[in-house]
Amino acid sequence: MSNLIRKENGKNAVAVQEQIGQYLTFLVDKENFAINILDVKEIIEIANVTHVPLTPDYIHGVINLRGNVVPVIDLSARLKHHSAEVNKRSCIVLVEVDVLEGPQMIGMLVDEVREILEIPPTNIQPAPDFGTDIRTDFIQAMARVGDVFIILLAINHVLSLEELSQLNNLTHEQQLD
Amino acid sequence: MSEFDAALTTFAQESEELLISMEDALLSLESSPDDSETINSVFRAMHTIKGSSGLFGFNAIVAFTHEAESVLDKVRNGERAIDAELISVLLDSKDLTARLIEHCLTQKDAPLPPELEAASARLIKQLSGSKETGIQASEAETSKLESEGGGDISVDGSWLISLKFQSDALRNGMDPLSFIRYLQTLGEIKEIITLIPGMPDGDEMDPESCYLHFKIAFQSDASKQNIESVFEFASDDCDINILPPNSKVEEYLNLLDAQDESHVKRIGEMLVQVGALTQNDVNRALQKQNESRESDDQPGKPLGKILVEQHVVQEPVVEQALKKQEQTKQKLAAEANYIRVDATKLGQLINLVGELVISSAAMNLIVERHGLADAGDVAASMNTLVSSIRDTALELRMVQIGETFSRFRRVVRDVSNELGKTIELQISGGETELDKTVVEKINDPLMHLIRNSLDHGIESPEQRLAVGKPAEGIVQLNAYHESGHIVIQIADDGAGLNCEKIVAKAIANGLIKPDHGLSQQEIFDLIFAAGLSTKEAATNLSGRGVGMDVVKKNIEALRGTVGIDSEEGQGTTITINLPLTLAIIDGFMVGTEMDRYIIPLSMVDECIEMDPNECEIDEVQHYINLRGQVLPYLRLGDYFNSRKSDTVKRRESVVVVKSGQNKAGFVVDELHGEHQTVIKPMGKVFENLKGITGATVLGDGNVALILDVQGLIQAAIKNRTRPANFLKA
Repeated sequence: MSNLIRKENGKNAVAVQEQIGQYLTFLVDKENFAINILDVKEIIEIANVTHVPLTPDYIHGVINLRGNVVPVIDLSARLKHHSAEVNKRSCIVLVEVDVLEGPQMIGMLVDEVREILEIPPTNIQPAPDFGTDIRTDFIQAMARVGDVFIILLAINHVLSLEELSQLNNLTHEQQLD
Repeated sequence: MSEFDAALTTFAQESEELLISMEDALLSLESSPDDSETINSVFRAMHTIKGSSGLFGFNAIVAFTHEAESVLDKVRNGERAIDAELISVLLDSKDLTARLIEHCLTQKDAPLPPELEAASARLIKQLSGSKETGIQASEAETSKLESEGGGDISVDGSWLISLKFQSDALRNGMDPLSFIRYLQTLGEIKEIITLIPGMPDGDEMDPESCYLHFKIAFQSDASKQNIESVFEFASDDCDINILPPNSKVEEYLNLLDAQDESHVKRIGEMLVQVGALTQNDVNRALQKQNESRESDDQPGKPLGKILVEQHVVQEPVVEQALKKQEQTKQKLAAEANYIRVDATKLGQLINLVGELVISSAAMNLIVERHGLADAGDVAASMNTLVSSIRDTALELRMVQIGETFSRFRRVVRDVSNELGKTIELQISGGETELDKTVVEKINDPLMHLIRNSLDHGIESPEQRLAVGKPAEGIVQLNAYHESGHIVIQIADDGAGLNCEKIVAKAIANGLIKPDHGLSQQEIFDLIFAAGLSTKEAATNLSGRGVGMDVVKKNIEALRGTVGIDSEEGQGTTITINLPLTLAIIDGFMVGTEMDRYIIPLSMVDECIEMDPNECEIDEVQHYINLRGQVLPYLRLGDYFNSRKSDTVKRRESVVVVKSGQNKAGFVVDELHGEHQTVIKPMGKVFENLKGITGATVLGDGNVALILDVQGLIQAAIKNRTRPANFLKA
């Protein structure tokens, strides 16, 4: 059942007008972001991360999640282009991304997990064309909570496997620099 | 309904296997047309498919296979000779059968499409219409005579008992007459003939010796066993043969037919069981067999023949028993030696074994940490068990590559016909085993490479004769194991690659610049680039330049490599190097200052200590002297962590690895030793990552990365051509 809902949600990700949604907010580089709670598989403490050589900064490494090797993306590096400082509040938010071969788990390294918010559709607005310091295609929408706006992340774009896996060219450049 | 579906699936699988074996058999018939066993197997394939299709009511298949079957039956009985033409027709029939089956399975109730109908009618005509070459059924059924070496007794429905008393019988207190009298208690003696074949004349005759032989026609309902027991006491001094009455033969045949097929029995055993023979008969025949074997080195006469010669059993009974034995053997070969297992179940098992390996590593770690000596022993023995479980589990998925190879015989045959070339495919190393998943995925690339060899490699017969080669071209398929890898080679003795053509084409396509300065090897490698074909005109087989890049990609996806070697005018050899398995490997764990890496153990040649003196000149020189050989090396830590570590002098080691012809050293800080490594996929994110093939979970829960030795060496080679960059890296 929950799967069904998730699918539905994924399909209409762009259509903002929906019933009241729950969103998980977290802190990345001192800024609040949110993702739909239905995208979140679990949140784990930051464990022993194995660094993967020859990868760009936004790949934090890989972890052992109950016997499976799961890549961890450094959201700070991905969104803000500078690596996160791991502190004792750092967490890994695990989400599932659909690829051809089936769902793939990916971890997102965040500085701190805040709370779960209920945001009515009326408070959700499309992203501005410019004005944010992160790539516009990463933004699914802006949610107004009280007086502040929180960016709702478009997980499919932020964790686009096609894009993440383009590490080869990048690393080679880095190598040669 | 679902049971029916399951039966259909089995039918589909079975037919596919049968058709494959039929094709193999047909192709081998081309070279050895008289092999009756092969003809039989072709016949069986058609026969079985006909039978099973009948069960499902696939009448189209039944009708067609029936025709094929009857032709094959004629071939089998020697009424029709097998020739190339018939083999072609039969091959087409095999293809048609496959299509018919597919049609019946997918659209069960739909009528046969007209083209299938037409093809079927045409083939039936070809099958039956092509010349009925002579060899009419020899009138084999010449009535057999009951020749009984001496007196002829022919009373139907009677036992034939022949008693040959030895000369000492009387001296040993045997009275032939008493036996005969006792025999009468079991039934009626119809006729008795007394023979005296060995009786000498007059004076030489010893009255105390027995020269009497008897032939008795005996009517009785008693079993052979009972009749024989009459002569039990005489068995030492008398040769007794008891031939069952003809009326009994029918009974034996039925009994033989009804015998269970759970295991293969020896022929004597079978005949004793139905009562056609007694154990004594068998023992005597076996003795005879041994004697005949001792006299010459040939294997002894078949037991059945001896039994018939000794007149203890009729020929039809033996024949039936032999037939039954053969049937049982086949049935068992088909059933008992293989168990069909769902591939996903096998996959699950392998995954579980993987988990087991990891947890046993974790246990070892704990045992070691706490220094429990007694637990250490247990852990060690468990470790051994786990690794043999692992090996066995992986072996379950291993299949011989031979089947894949022999499929190409048909391809070579068809393609060479189409191209008007004569090409022979030579297969070797078919027994080499590798993981089933690898086999499945290697099929397409292999097909492509072989077609390439056929189309581009081998020249036309005229061209070949003109350059002094035999008209028949040869394509060789070869497989063998080499240091934890399987190597598959496709070699042809054709024209070879023309470097200039490739270069010209590559320049035209903008792949390289005119002042490329590439080595010959690099030029060869260009043919794996997309959009390059040296054939001027594309045929419908190959030459469109798509493919070689796909081949390379597919092989690399299996963590394999492909290389090419060619000599103009002499031929081309393509070598594919594949890992044996995709699941678990023996690894060798090494550590750099912060990370741990696994090197596949099969690639590790040796470990040596890094001589500090060599280190001194490290900045300019990246090779060491290994017993007189130059060994280039790579500092793993520096290579992976691009920033230079603080130069604290540590004790470093060099792991010497070997990949194909290349040897190289990896400089590491620590050697952790052997480690059973369960390969975990890294996922799509890392699919383009060079130098790392996968990851594994260590006993302590951490993740270690598995090095792609070949990839690293290649990257290093690439970097060396740009020395400035390499030094910085």
